[in-house]
Amino acid sequence: MATFTERMGPVLLVWLAVCLGGTWAVDKGNFKTCEQSAFCKRQRAIKPGESPYRALLETMELTNTRLTLQLINDNNKVRLLLELYRLQGNITRVKINELKPLKPRYEVPDVLIREPPTEPLSLLSQDENGVVLSLGPESQRVIVSARPFRLDIVEGRDVLMSLNSRGLLGFEHLRMRKDTSQAEPETDNKEGADPANQDENTKEEEEKVEDGMWEETFKSHTDSKPNGPSAVSLDFSLPGVEHVYGIPEHADTLKLKTTDSGDPYRLYNLDVFQYELYNPMALYGAVPVMLAHNAQRTTGIFWLNAAETWVDISSNTAGKTVFGKMLDYVQGSSETPQTDVRWISESGIIDVFLMLGPTPREVFSQYASLTGTQAFPPLASLGYHQCRWNYNDQEDVRSVDAGFDEHDIPYDFIWLDIEHTDGKRYFTWDPHKFASPKEMLQGLMDKKRKMVAIVDPHIKIDTNYKIHNEISSRGFYVKNKDGGDYEGWCWPGSAGYPDFTRPDMRAWWASQFAYDQYEGAMENLYTWNDMNEPSVFNGPEVTMHKDALHGAWEHRDVHNLYGLYVHMATAQGLIERSGGVERPFVLTRAFFAGSQRYGAVWTGDNAAEWDHLKISIPMCLSLSLVGISFCGADVGGFFKSPSTELLVRWYQTGAYQPFFRAHAHLDTPRREPWLFGPENTALIREAVRQRYTFLPYWYQLFYLAYHTGEPVMRPLWVEYPQDPATFALDDEFLLGRDLLVHPVTEEGARGVTAYLPGKDEVWFDIHTFQKHNGGQNLYIPVTMSSIPVFQRGGSIIPRKLRVRRSSTCMEDDPYTLYVALNNQRTAEGELYIDDGHTFNYEKKEFIHRRFSFSNNVLSSVNLEPEAQFTTKSWVERIIILGASNPSTITLRTADGINQLEFDFDASMSVLTIRKPGMNAGADWSVSLQ
Amino acid sequence: MRFHVIAAALLWAAFVESRKIRGISSSYKRFYRERKSFLCIDGSKMIPFEQVNDDYCDCADGSDEPGTSACPRGRFYCTNLGFRPHYIPSSRVNDGICDCCDASDEYNSHVRCQNTCWNLGQKERAYVEGQMKTLDEGLRLKQQLIEEGVLLWREKQAQLRELQRAAEDLQIKLEEHRRRKHEADRLKEQTLKALKAGDKGLRHQNSTVSHLFQLLDSNKDGSISVDEIKAKVVLVHDEKRVLSEDEALTLLGGGHQMDLSTFQNTLWDVLIQGHDYKIKDAHSAPGGLMSEDPHLKAADRAAEWEATDLKKVEEAYETVNMEISDLQRKLGIDYGTDWEYLFLNGQCYKLKVYEYMYTLCPFNMVSQKSSAGVEVSLGGGCGQDHQRTTTVRWCTRTENRAGREVLAPLQSL
Repeated sequence: MATFTERMGPVLLVWLAVCLGGTWAVDKGNFKTCEQSAFCKRQRAIKPGESPYRALLETMELTNTRLTLQLINDNNKVRLLLELYRLQGNITRVKINELKPLKPRYEVPDVLIREPPTEPLSLLSQDENGVVLSLGPESQRVIVSARPFRLDIVEGRDVLMSLNSRGLLGFEHLRMRKDTSQAEPETDNKEGADPANQDENTKEEEEKVEDGMWEETFKSHTDSKPNGPSAVSLDFSLPGVEHVYGIPEHADTLKLKTTDSGDPYRLYNLDVFQYELYNPMALYGAVPVMLAHNAQRTTGIFWLNAAETWVDISSNTAGKTVFGKMLDYVQGSSETPQTDVRWISESGIIDVFLMLGPTPREVFSQYASLTGTQAFPPLASLGYHQCRWNYNDQEDVRSVDAGFDEHDIPYDFIWLDIEHTDGKRYFTWDPHKFASPKEMLQGLMDKKRKMVAIVDPHIKIDTNYKIHNEISSRGFYVKNKDGGDYEGWCWPGSAGYPDFTRPDMRAWWASQFAYDQYEGAMENLYTWNDMNEPSVFNGPEVTMHKDALHGAWEHRDVHNLYGLYVHMATAQGLIERSGGVERPFVLTRAFFAGSQRYGAVWTGDNAAEWDHLKISIPMCLSLSLVGISFCGADVGGFFKSPSTELLVRWYQTGAYQPFFRAHAHLDTPRREPWLFGPENTALIREAVRQRYTFLPYWYQLFYLAYHTGEPVMRPLWVEYPQDPATFALDDEFLLGRDLLVHPVTEEGARGVTAYLPGKDEVWFDIHTFQKHNGGQNLYIPVTMSSIPVFQRGGSIIPRKLRVRRSSTCMEDDPYTLYVALNNQRTAEGELYIDDGHTFNYEKKEFIHRRFSFSNNVLSSVNLEPEAQFTTKSWVERIIILGASNPSTITLRTADGINQLEFDFDASMSVLTIRKPGMNAGADWSVSLQ
Repeated sequence: MRFHVIAAALLWAAFVESRKIRGISSSYKRFYRERKSFLCIDGSKMIPFEQVNDDYCDCADGSDEPGTSACPRGRFYCTNLGFRPHYIPSSRVNDGICDCCDASDEYNSHVRCQNTCWNLGQKERAYVEGQMKTLDEGLRLKQQLIEEGVLLWREKQAQLRELQRAAEDLQIKLEEHRRRKHEADRLKEQTLKALKAGDKGLRHQNSTVSHLFQLLDSNKDGSISVDEIKAKVVLVHDEKRVLSEDEALTLLGGGHQMDLSTFQNTLWDVLIQGHDYKIKDAHSAPGGLMSEDPHLKAADRAAEWEATDLKKVEEAYETVNMEISDLQRKLGIDYGTDWEYLFLNGQCYKLKVYEYMYTLCPFNMVSQKSSAGVEVSLGGGCGQDHQRTTTVRWCTRTENRAGREVLAPLQSL
């Protein structure tokens, strides 16, 4: 929502004048390149192969849980402390900090869900050149080399990952500023044994003050840097790897590109006005997690640092043609393909988790064991969301709501953007336009629908505003470098930014969502946190000054974490207002590792362009790979106005992406689904209805994501890790294992070519039931109504075909089971049911069943015998794809045995079993004879 | 009494029938006569009759499930006794939301719906009655407006004709006055010429010539010398400066002396014209001497008189013409077939929406004024601003917001 309105203040207008600049693309000049970011420039200048770091093996201490070892920089004699932990679940953690820092360096709190449990390490061998440690029962070892320092993780004869193998470890130790420290002795932590001349060298080294170490100016903003240089960096080599993924958020392809010829990928939460596609610029969120994959193994690197971070990627095979690679292979002369990455952060410490897989599923579970899984969302939030900046008033809300009924299109949430507030004072309502919010919310509740209202973290500085007064009087605002309350410009004009890094501030914020605090709120009102990068219109790079203070820490240290904390406190507020009973739903724009625990994320202010529709797939896939499953892009595109064709295609794509919300900029013409003529209304209605029929499957996938950390939306390679043809695919994706979606994202498309993976698989078109073999590129002719979606043979998907006004209206409705048989004539699937909105599932109040079809018998068994829940839903229909014609069909339940009616379509081999009628929570079996 | 019994029996029969096949209107009953089998209304399929309304969709057209939510394209008939019957989509049957006022759509759901049809019907009937009354009243008022409009229209037409007549009269008068002014101007011109040429009033001129000559001839020697010129004659635009020798010589025609007869033919003219030179300390220009001439004075006054008269007539003519074109413009507007909107001309209405005050003057202008005082035109009848237009929607009420009139079934403008 980062754009203008004439109602904004003059300062904003100045900012806008810069931003608008007459073009539609981002003004890159507003954002730093690596060259313009002093620490990035310094660290990137380190040349490989000249590492000054040496491991002092004699300092090694090995306890049951960890190994510690000192490293020394031979150039300046500063010592570092290396800690190495073996964590449960095939994870190795490496921490590097200064042995004796001048003052403590920031270590990211609140991201790990607990102190990760360790496993014992054992020493295998040691000599003066290094040590070898065993990493648990498998043949995994870590080799610590002393000179130069280097870590290799080895399994059998394979090197899985090497650290500092290129010698790019950089650790800028904290130091006194020269002009203020002249009187003090140089340093006191030097080795007594150092020869005097080395000491002098040290001094020389120390005296080398580069530009930007103690002060840095970008555009008109000066960063005062009172602590001086503090950057950290480290390189990782991934032998045998040609594909790396993750490190969102970037508007780029799923497979990350090498960065040798340009800037590194940047991780620095920023409100980028009209972002550009296919480049490594930073966006609203940052998850410093990278996955590496080849046909044998998947691994992951989690770099736990919340400061501005840059990631360089290089590859020894990049740029080689397929033919070139083949030639190498034939001649046997090829070096092993290898990807090298280098992480650079501005401050903090090196704290890195090496997730060693070996399967994609295990990497997901390893990462989930560290940062937690996707919050299990209320079922309704998986329905369709109708948003716009802005629905003008209560009458507007009422008439849009009525429009959905009139056109028989289901929806669950209608959204209010910033204009609903009284002068951008969050937690308030415009007294004219939204004079009786409870009446409005009751009207929605009567239709079993819900609302989301925006609550941004910038607080209008206004002594008549309760929220401001309370934050101010409690001293909860972020402070500027001089200790006063930090002030910046945002939607309300001059605004303060609450210090969400403080637990007491978060607790207070959460309390503001209580029904007696947030006037006009009701239980069907949920929350949206926008602008939480944080966005500061007049700040450097449209965000907060790095020398602003969060207690003892600089904003520099915590920047990428701010948005997560806002999201965390808001979700906590929604939980608390119901006494811990109801699940929250909170959407955030900024995020960090762990944000998945608090709700949904969207890809920010995109544009109504075909390329933006296309990029929504890799953007959400990249987020999914690093734990954030509840992802979506603004359907229709936020900026500009979509053509009708683009809008329809976007609905069709969005219907098969996790977070399904249409949104539009204030200045764009209205685009509710029925405004484009009856034909297009029908197309959109159909897409939304398809979404609702699949809600049981979506819900089950989200339960799985919550339970195991497996993503809902998956790149194909996750399920077909040995098929290199899938490794770079990002124009199609899987939902769970069983649905393959290849949306139409080309203007004027007459057909799409979808890759159907799995040589032994078969795939059924969900609309025509036509069967296709896996392991092929399939050309699919398309019309405007086509959404190419395939169900995997071997799967059973429960659907609800009675699409109603909202998901809540469908609660008791019966299921239709789609049983798609594979070549072995078997199939499996699951069904998860609970009340859809409370935390009672934690008390095992749910139904979780497994369906399986084999030997012509379809049966339902209980997966959680201790769980207790009853449902009114029953099974109204079973559709078996790829079936043969039976003579009789028998249902067996606790109540007895029945013959069932059925219908067989021989042309498509589709068997439809009529009204078996058993309760969805019951044990039963259906046999075909 | 018998009539009541029959009516009750009919109602009962209808009730029984509709309970049997839920969700259909009486006109569809013929498709659902109890038989062994049921033919989908689109003819696509034959099913056993027990499968009608058994909560499973068999017919592609949804006709086998008029009373359940089983069919995606089905519809459910709300009988709504006491109110208006209508169809709802099948998906709204038993969804926990009361859609039919007779509660018939929620026969198997957790929600308890009240039968509100009677109340709604009452309201509806009251509303319709009110509407009828309003309509009658409106029609009456419209008729009144039409009558007023016609009268006003005629009045304006008469006014226009009167003005046009006045304009014609004025035109004649105007021409007469133009002629007279022209005549007076000509007379004045002639008088002036005659005066200059000296063919009339020569004696007077002589005395004037000799008077001036004597004035200049300080030493009374019968001729004017350079020194005498320098003493008495100055530049009109620079009275303080004494003329130079050369300038004086030039005035004397190059010689050092000038007698009366030469004076009369040369220097006298120069001084009389008074463009460049004049007599020092003379209180009036030499021309002023001339205006003392009684003939010239009379001619001048006559010309002035006529000019004033003409101007008055011209102004009157212009005013009348402006009134005519204004009236013609107003009469040129479409006030509806019977001039029922004519009364709106000249009225203005104000409406406050949030911080904005809107002013609507039909056939004239619309504007929006914010509380901050910024006024924006939203379109005007005078054609000065075509960027903005305002759509005005008419609602039928017996009174308008300003608390006067009317609008019956009027079409939008």
